[in-house]
Amino acid sequence: MTRQPTPLAIAAGERSPRVLFDAGKGTLHISGESYPEDAAAFFGPILCALQEQLNEAGPPLQVDLELVYFNSSSAKALMNIFQILESAAARGRQIAINWHYHPDDDTMEEFGQDFAEDFKHADFRVVPRE
Amino acid sequence: MMSQRLAEAYYGFKCDQDGKGAILSYSGFVSESILFSLGETLRRRVEHEDSDQNHTKRLFSVFVEQVQNVIRYSAEQLPPRNPQETPLGSGLIVVGMEEQAFFVVCANTITLQQKEQLEARLTALAAMDKDALRAVYRKKLKEPPEEGSLGASLGLIEVARRSSRPIEFDFLDLQEERFFFCLKVFV
Repeated sequence: MTRQPTPLAIAAGERSPRVLFDAGKGTLHISGESYPEDAAAFFGPILCALQEQLNEAGPPLQVDLELVYFNSSSAKALMNIFQILESAAARGRQIAINWHYHPDDDTMEEFGQDFAEDFKHADFRVVPRE
Repeated sequence: MMSQRLAEAYYGFKCDQDGKGAILSYSGFVSESILFSLGETLRRRVEHEDSDQNHTKRLFSVFVEQVQNVIRYSAEQLPPRNPQETPLGSGLIVVGMEEQAFFVVCANTITLQQKEQLEARLTALAAMDKDALRAVYRKKLKEPPEEGSLGASLGLIEVARRSSRPIEFDFLDLQEERFFFCLKVFV
């Protein structure tokens, strides 16, 4: 019997996103705004948890991102997350990522399109919100 | 008598700021919490008269990147007192309006070495069009940060991407290898 890891849950802050990573269910949600004081410190535990869980074989992972604004330090952290996801997908893990954006939000749409180009193995989709 | 002269002096100070189109200005040591509070005030102020969300977000983004650069790269720093605190950097922040367009001016003291680096970087960015900026942002995003940078190269590219006119910058020699660096960005 395998032990189910405890989900990583971070409530939304004034300037940091809500994060929920449930490795047992195979879901990762990040939503809101992101310009924390120290982006490396904020995203560090998420990167660690992902790295740990994606190292071994496991269920498919469904990632949903619903960001409305992020600063350049957070962009760097997102890129680190994407690199972990893409390399896990390259090793055979089934990973689907949805980049949700408000249909009127040009900046978030453009970021989604740019990030999409970096994926070859994971299924990255840019999805306008209803 | 005394109080009248006092009011006069600061009314002059206020009028000078108003004359430069300032809707918000701050001078002194800047903390991350000041960034947050000024940013919230700015959003409220702008949403009040500008219904274009994309425009407000571009302005906010330029504001955040510029203010974080003051905090991180000002040559006048106040170190943290404990591990929970982040360092403070001294500088000037002005958000204003000129000819119906919003601008963000940030200024701070820098060293000669920073000046040389910034001048080269900003000159290159100012000459790029939106597609070139988008491409260089994507490239930088995948690279490890440069020496002495906490991610500033990416921040400046973000600023240039969101600006509606070529970015303006200038350096004033303060002697002894110190410079007053000023960056003005219209959104």
